[in-house]
Amino acid sequence: MSDGAKQGPPSLDEFSRRLDAARGDRAPEKNSNRASGAALGRAFRVGSELLAGLIVGSLLGLGLDTFFGTKPFLLLVGIFLGFAAGVLNVSRAFKASASDASDSGNNPSGQG
Amino acid sequence: MIHAATPGLQAAGPMEQFEILPIVPLTLGNIDVSFTNSALWMTIGVVAIALFFFFATNRRALIPGRMQSVAEILHEFVANLVRDTIGHDGMKFFPYVFTLFIFILTANFFGLIPSIPGSPHNLHTFTTTSHIIVTFALAMLTITIVIIYGFAKNGLKFLKLFAPSGLPIWLMPILVPIEIISFLSRPVSLGVRLFANMLAGHIILKLFAGFVIALLGAGGFASILAIAPFLGSIAIFLLEFLVAALQAYVFAILTCIYLSDAAHAADH
Repeated sequence: MSDGAKQGPPSLDEFSRRLDAARGDRAPEKNSNRASGAALGRAFRVGSELLAGLIVGSLLGLGLDTFFGTKPFLLLVGIFLGFAAGVLNVSRAFKASASDASDSGNNPSGQG
Repeated sequence: MIHAATPGLQAAGPMEQFEILPIVPLTLGNIDVSFTNSALWMTIGVVAIALFFFFATNRRALIPGRMQSVAEILHEFVANLVRDTIGHDGMKFFPYVFTLFIFILTANFFGLIPSIPGSPHNLHTFTTTSHIIVTFALAMLTITIVIIYGFAKNGLKFLKLFAPSGLPIWLMPILVPIEIISFLSRPVSLGVRLFANMLAGHIILKLFAGFVIALLGAGGFASILAIAPFLGSIAIFLLEFLVAALQAYVFAILTCIYLSDAAHAADH
């Protein structure tokens, strides 16, 4: 191994060519592994995205209610808007995963 | 953890592991700034990271050794993540994303190291990322960088993030508040996700371990049944390794996605 390092640049080029050739066979497998990891990460996102939208919307409504003295009304508006924001967050997370899947060629029929 | 003086075996409650305990009591005026077990484990994490990267890059070789390989894989992984998500000019955020990723990964993994039996309670293993104040502080740091960078790069056009072009004027009063709430929910979901996953995982782990102790303490036929929660706790422990790595990855990739939104807000 150390002989190859001492010979200098010409053997390095040769080495990287051989490395590329060796990697060529394994590249697709590596890609699909990474894609499934990313998909798992997105699955973990979905629940908390919905919840976070609802929490922020409700708290914002409650805060504005206390500020303006209009007790339940802005809270109700906030809950509805917060839920809508949560659904928007989730739909964005899924949209990203659909475009990723079609990029890597796993899902050619997916609607971008 | 196990009180030998009491008859039979007893396990500590599942929430005891999250208690913040002072190690070196300190006060600054009226503020309690004690060096706690949480601070201790953050320090251990940062020192471990620094030592690891010092030794990994100490003897840079063309053919990397074990430690250098790990450091290179980590670097390449995060660099690819940043380049794929933000684009090539996003590499200026690489140091931040890398620091965030490594810190969360280390904190999550160090929380899984079993405590030394018989050590004092304030020196037990502690998962810093199982406290919402820690995760929320990291999330707020990310969002602050996103907002500052967004305004610095796009000026007031950054606000187009809340009102996409091509939107009918009558939809504005409904959609703009929804977009604002959606933006404000980002730090919340970032912080809550990491905190909730770590907290829930450690509680479940502790509950299963508690069942083993309780069944062994009951004696007789019940002791044989202790094998079931024991196998369960091994399975949960392995799952926690996946969750620890995955949550660090999710935090890093979402930071990249939000930074990419800020970089391209004017193009919407």
